[in-house]
Amino acid sequence: MSTIFPKWTNNLPTLLAGGAVGTLAVVVGVVWYYFTPEYWSVGYMPTQPGGGFNHQIHVGKLGMDCRYCHTNVEKSAEANVPTVSTCYGCHADGRLAKLTSSQGHAEKTAFIREAYAKDEPIEWRRVHKVPDYVRNFPHHAHVNAGVSCYSCHGNIGRMPVVYQAKSLSMSWCLDCHRNPEPHLVAKDDVYRLFDVEDRNAADPSGSGKRLTEGKRFYEERKIAAPENCGACHY
Amino acid sequence: MSAIHPDQVSAAKLAGMMRPPPEPEFDPVTRDGSLVEDPAVRAPLVLGKDTSFNDVTETVCGYIEKGPGRWFWPVFFLVSQVAGLMPLMILYLIITGVGVWGLNNQVDWAWDITNFVFWIGIGHAGTLISAILCLLKQKWRTSINRAAEAMTIFAVICAGTFPGVHIGRVWMAWMLFPIPNSNAIWPNFKSPLLWDVFAVSTYGTVSALFWFMGMIPDFATLRDRAALRIMRASDPSVMKVDRIRCFVYGMLALGWRFSTRHWHRYEKAYILLAGISTPLVLSVHSIVSFDFATSILPGWHTTIFPPYFVAGAIFGGFAMVLLLMIPSRELFPGMKALITLRHLENMAKIILVTGFMVGFAYAMEFFVAWYGGNQYELHVFLYNRVVPDWVDPRGAPYWWAYWSMIICNVVFPQLFWFKACRQSPVVIFIVSVAVTIGMWFERFVIIVTSLHRAFLPGEWHMFFPTPVDILTFVGSCGTFLTLYMLFMRFLPMFAMSEIKAVMPQANPHKH
Repeated sequence: MSTIFPKWTNNLPTLLAGGAVGTLAVVVGVVWYYFTPEYWSVGYMPTQPGGGFNHQIHVGKLGMDCRYCHTNVEKSAEANVPTVSTCYGCHADGRLAKLTSSQGHAEKTAFIREAYAKDEPIEWRRVHKVPDYVRNFPHHAHVNAGVSCYSCHGNIGRMPVVYQAKSLSMSWCLDCHRNPEPHLVAKDDVYRLFDVEDRNAADPSGSGKRLTEGKRFYEERKIAAPENCGACHY
Repeated sequence: MSAIHPDQVSAAKLAGMMRPPPEPEFDPVTRDGSLVEDPAVRAPLVLGKDTSFNDVTETVCGYIEKGPGRWFWPVFFLVSQVAGLMPLMILYLIITGVGVWGLNNQVDWAWDITNFVFWIGIGHAGTLISAILCLLKQKWRTSINRAAEAMTIFAVICAGTFPGVHIGRVWMAWMLFPIPNSNAIWPNFKSPLLWDVFAVSTYGTVSALFWFMGMIPDFATLRDRAALRIMRASDPSVMKVDRIRCFVYGMLALGWRFSTRHWHRYEKAYILLAGISTPLVLSVHSIVSFDFATSILPGWHTTIFPPYFVAGAIFGGFAMVLLLMIPSRELFPGMKALITLRHLENMAKIILVTGFMVGFAYAMEFFVAWYGGNQYELHVFLYNRVVPDWVDPRGAPYWWAYWSMIICNVVFPQLFWFKACRQSPVVIFIVSVAVTIGMWFERFVIIVTSLHRAFLPGEWHMFFPTPVDILTFVGSCGTFLTLYMLFMRFLPMFAMSEIKAVMPQANPHKH
């Protein structure tokens, strides 16, 4: 009887098994890397009106405190975006003439005065957003517990245009809620992004000084980072 | 038993002296010849005078090569139309939401889980026949194991669909499995619902492996027969079907060459898989019963559930095997020689025994509900199930479901005490229909009557199935039958080599 299949088909089972394992590895790898908020959300940087509020200049160079604009961060869940009048407080006609050396400065900030004159809000675009089925991220609870802005937003003081630095995925939230100590800082340091950056760089794994200090803060402030579903979901 | 050597018979047939497949001769005492009562005589498992090995091959391969008859495709058309209802209803469910079912706040499990437990139970007969009866060296299993294993797999497919679609957001069904994800959430490892996922998927995998491995030598036979016909044909274009068969069965046969080494490995693998499957017969339905037993709902919170569910699964499974085999015997030429009346009688006896276990469990549930002194449990058993609302105002309107279950599962199998009944295919068929209905009602009674009245009267709700509920279940029956009919048409329905091993020729010394 003649053979039904050519001889090379003897290798088929091996090839198929190898192919199956390879395909599985590729599928797992692709899902692992691409199907995550870490891939889709980190680096999200929408175009802002007037080119955006330059945090690098205002926070990094001029050393403004976060709370100057985000006034309610210690009192409310929402870290509010400032009204036009807050901007206008500094950027009114002629007020900053001594501070600005660049010629284009007046032009760049003209949209603030226009908006103020028209009594219309500036339509800033939201960068950090959690899904609908998550409660508003309670900023006051976190900053009052001593979690620095840096932990979730990165060093905003280095961003000419704000972008999303962390994934904001649920596992990322839980990473901190299950091990909160290294992310706690002295109350005075909460808004000092550059100091926190240096502190983290000195102890990147969070197992040294950050942990010993954090444990003390955790005790002193009677913190209990919740892990139950209802803490974040309705 | 044969006067002529079987090889001579085969040689005569190959030389062209073909004859139709042997029909069993009828004897008033031993009926088709298999119901021998004399302990000194071994009852034949394959009927017919001078049935040779080749006759078995011709009969079994004939179902695939010549087809089972004109009735097949019209019936298949009808059955597959019914099967089409299932995906349609599921699509409607996914698009619209679980509100299309009759579930409500109180009865949040109803036909979906009833159907799941019903189908998963059906499968257990196949595993029992192929694994436990194999280890116990019950030779009569050889002619029914293949079809029963196929039935197991198709039942698991139907069963697995229901929990998959009842979760509401079907696209999140992957969360049934513990897959690492960016939400850092896992299924609850303490929940029997997760154990269920593992139990059913293990069961499906092992059953499918067992089934496929058993078919490999038969695939090789089909491949070689097609190859032989191609070689002999003068006009190659006539043999188009055989070319397809040669290729497909050749692929499925995985290079099987009937060498002694192949058989040796095959036998070893077979006994290993039988050993792996044996605990599954007991574990799968035990775990399914944990879905209920580990809850604290009166009516579910019962330690008797695991053995009770396993006995019920085997009971219902054998009824389904008989439901499929009795009509097949009539419709397929020569099948009566392979599935004898003794096979049917043996299965009827298993139904009688397991029916008793189930009846005992029904009685014990009541005894424990009374003896345990928990008034809520007693109330559920007595008033949610047994006592009709027209007898006692505390009774629930589900008494008819309970009594249907008792009549079908406990009363009907008692017919098998009578020899005439357990030897009559018609009576066996009727009892099997009753048992299948009864086993469906058993799951309905357990799930719905326990749920529909909770501790406060404000939580009392009746369950009424919607047309979508009903058509999904009807569709799952159609899916099951469609798959089974495709199996009968295209795959070897009997384990040829195993049947040959229980024929007289395989035992020349007659010991």
